[in-house]
Amino acid sequence: MYNLHLTAEQLEFRDTVREFVQNEVKPAALHPSRLEPFEKPLLASLLDDASRMGLRTLSLSEAAGGAGADSLTTCLVLEELAAGDIDIAMALGITQGLARVLFDETMNDAQRGRLLPEFVEDARYHLALARSDFADRGWNYHRADAGEPGTDPTATKQANGEWVLNGSVGFVQNAPIAKLFVVQARTDARKSGRNGLTTFLVPREASGLVIGSVEGPFSGQATGGRPLTRWHHGTGAHVRFENCRVPAENVVGKDNQSPLAAAVHDVRADVQIAAINLGLGRAAYEAAVDYAKIRVQGGRRIVEHQAIGTILSDAAIKLELARNQIWKAAWVADHPDAVTDRSVADLPLHTIARVYTAEAVNEVTLGAAECFGAMGVMRDMPLQKYVHDAFIFLNGCGHDSATKLEIAEAIAGFERQAAA
Amino acid sequence: MDFSLNEEQRGWQMEARRFAEEEIRPLSAKQDQIADPRETWDWDIIVRGSKLGFRTLAVPKEWGGPAADFVTQAIVMAELARGDSAISKAFSQNWKWSHLIAASCTREQKERFLKPFMADHRYLMGRGITEPNAGSDNRLPPPDAPKAGYRLRAERDGEEWVLNGEKCFIANGSVGSLFFVDARTNPEVNVRQGGTLFMVPKGTPGFRVGKVFNKRGWRFYQNAELIFENCRIPHANVVGEVNGGVKASAGDTTGGDIFGDLELAANAVGVCDDAISMAMSFARTHKRAGRPVMDHQIVQLKLNEMHALTEALRSYVMRVAWERDQGGPVGANAGLAMNLSTDIIQRVTRLNMDIHGPEGCMMNARVDKLVRDAMVWTHLAGDTVQRIKILKRLGGTAAPSAGAH
Repeated sequence: MYNLHLTAEQLEFRDTVREFVQNEVKPAALHPSRLEPFEKPLLASLLDDASRMGLRTLSLSEAAGGAGADSLTTCLVLEELAAGDIDIAMALGITQGLARVLFDETMNDAQRGRLLPEFVEDARYHLALARSDFADRGWNYHRADAGEPGTDPTATKQANGEWVLNGSVGFVQNAPIAKLFVVQARTDARKSGRNGLTTFLVPREASGLVIGSVEGPFSGQATGGRPLTRWHHGTGAHVRFENCRVPAENVVGKDNQSPLAAAVHDVRADVQIAAINLGLGRAAYEAAVDYAKIRVQGGRRIVEHQAIGTILSDAAIKLELARNQIWKAAWVADHPDAVTDRSVADLPLHTIARVYTAEAVNEVTLGAAECFGAMGVMRDMPLQKYVHDAFIFLNGCGHDSATKLEIAEAIAGFERQAAA
Repeated sequence: MDFSLNEEQRGWQMEARRFAEEEIRPLSAKQDQIADPRETWDWDIIVRGSKLGFRTLAVPKEWGGPAADFVTQAIVMAELARGDSAISKAFSQNWKWSHLIAASCTREQKERFLKPFMADHRYLMGRGITEPNAGSDNRLPPPDAPKAGYRLRAERDGEEWVLNGEKCFIANGSVGSLFFVDARTNPEVNVRQGGTLFMVPKGTPGFRVGKVFNKRGWRFYQNAELIFENCRIPHANVVGEVNGGVKASAGDTTGGDIFGDLELAANAVGVCDDAISMAMSFARTHKRAGRPVMDHQIVQLKLNEMHALTEALRSYVMRVAWERDQGGPVGANAGLAMNLSTDIIQRVTRLNMDIHGPEGCMMNARVDKLVRDAMVWTHLAGDTVQRIKILKRLGGTAAPSAGAH
């Protein structure tokens, strides 16, 4: 069986978001006054508008008050949103993804009862996940986790059952806008990697939770004198825990067993990031197609030149193939039995989607920019921003060229031993 | 074959290397990070470089210049570009027009313009060809559309010409003292038959600088709009003959001669050298998954590729420069080297980014800068028009309908 028909509901959802992006998001996001400055503050009121459209609670179940979107629908929507503004897409993508993981899958009834109503009601209620990033994805190819200590925040249990959190996470996405932090802290120092972690719910107002500024540090002593440049999508900040006390009732799951460490959550998150990345590529491609149809050089519209035609068809090929893989990986995440009944390959389809999309969209944005000639490198035009954003996907967001080695490990049937 | 440099060439190389390391490099990232495109320029570094001879490197001896050969010019461009690609270009841009003056200007014009150029450390030059609706059409004029190409109009009025129109993206536009401006003196025929080249000094009534473009890369180097409103230019400022603009620029509307092509290729060598030294240093001093970055095969393969591509480009650039110095025919090689440099500079600067990777939510600003600077090549030296254009020199017919922009 093979069926690529979207449901009437999926199509409607996509069209609604597409219209919102076209009429509301693009005019603000692509205005030269926003494009030219180095700093691009989050478009807060559009983020709120998107929340009110239900995008913040997109994959939260209907029973919990969300739209109950499956992975595939979520990818459709995030692609549309990202074609308008990558930062809004990333911020909403994180909140709506975590909402499902927390409220539908891992919280107990008491926690849900305490936190869910406010989350559903408040359009500005965002979520953030604070954990040491697995930046070494793929680098530990065919080896045990290096088990370098001291990178995770730590938590120690007090006699009264309360926990005390200390340490910091270098960069937490959504930290500047989150009302609730999900914190993965090391509670068993003898374990490493994904073992020995406990998950805590820490409200923004908790004493001892220190959220860094959105700005910098980009140079000076804090960076060892080297100039650095902002390199992420959405919004984020450094987060520090200074004797931050968390009651036992705020532990999600069991002590020393973080339910968020389960691979399934990362599978869905990876596919959704790939969908956001795809939306970026589509925006660049569509801009190039529109321009190629009106720009005249060589006595004809440039779309009629073979050189431009080649660039546009390469872009279309790459975007179509990326979308195929994203949809497939998302659908398999929604239908895991497709792997067990041998309908699809037992490979990390989400990683394949993520890696391929990052590489493909990088090339798509560069080709699209080339169609614009000199205007392709000008900061008051969107093309250079698309190129920049695509490089961040290629070498950032916890992904780089070593990520594909995870696929090779799966091919070889390698199973990682946690460091002792 | 002899690849050794003579004493003079070696001397220029050492001086350029020292200047790039000690004076350009400390300024490079700082100027790049200035958001306002009008503020990225720094006269002090230009004056200091000029005092060392870098601004006037290509001027013939009889006019007081060092008359450096092409091998020296290529070496100096690459060395300066190691410090900052755009600052290197700010110097070499003047050599391009020194070549043009030497080749095409009368003795009287040289008196009027080369002398002040030699005397003033802040005297820079530029060339105005591109217009909003004429980019590729200037490089590859379509035979079936004679009106394609630049439209800036020049009309004769006695011993003067009256210029009206607008140029965009003009290099050194906001800082130049003298511009070579291509104008239509016969709008009924194509730019090759109806275009004339004029010398327009800064401050000429009716000539002003418009916006300074805000580029993703090469931020130090300023490209601006030049606006002409009834700007009167004496006939004595025509370069070559009326309707002979293309001939005056030695048959090429974009670079004057092979120098324009060689310039970009040589500059790219310096950027690649910079990327390699950054990548090597990072790979030696940082770890991934508990092992030195250098110990990972995926990094070793990338470092190998960076070195191989850069050395291949260097060889090609030096061969073109040397052949030109020997007086032999250069043919298509300068242009091909330029096109190739576009591919190589992209690949090498991106491999450097790949090896570094992000640091949390941040990226080493210089790693990003090299990638951004490299992108300028794609939109300047290696776009499809620049590649197709070279076919003419290879004996093809440069399919005129295959333009891009």
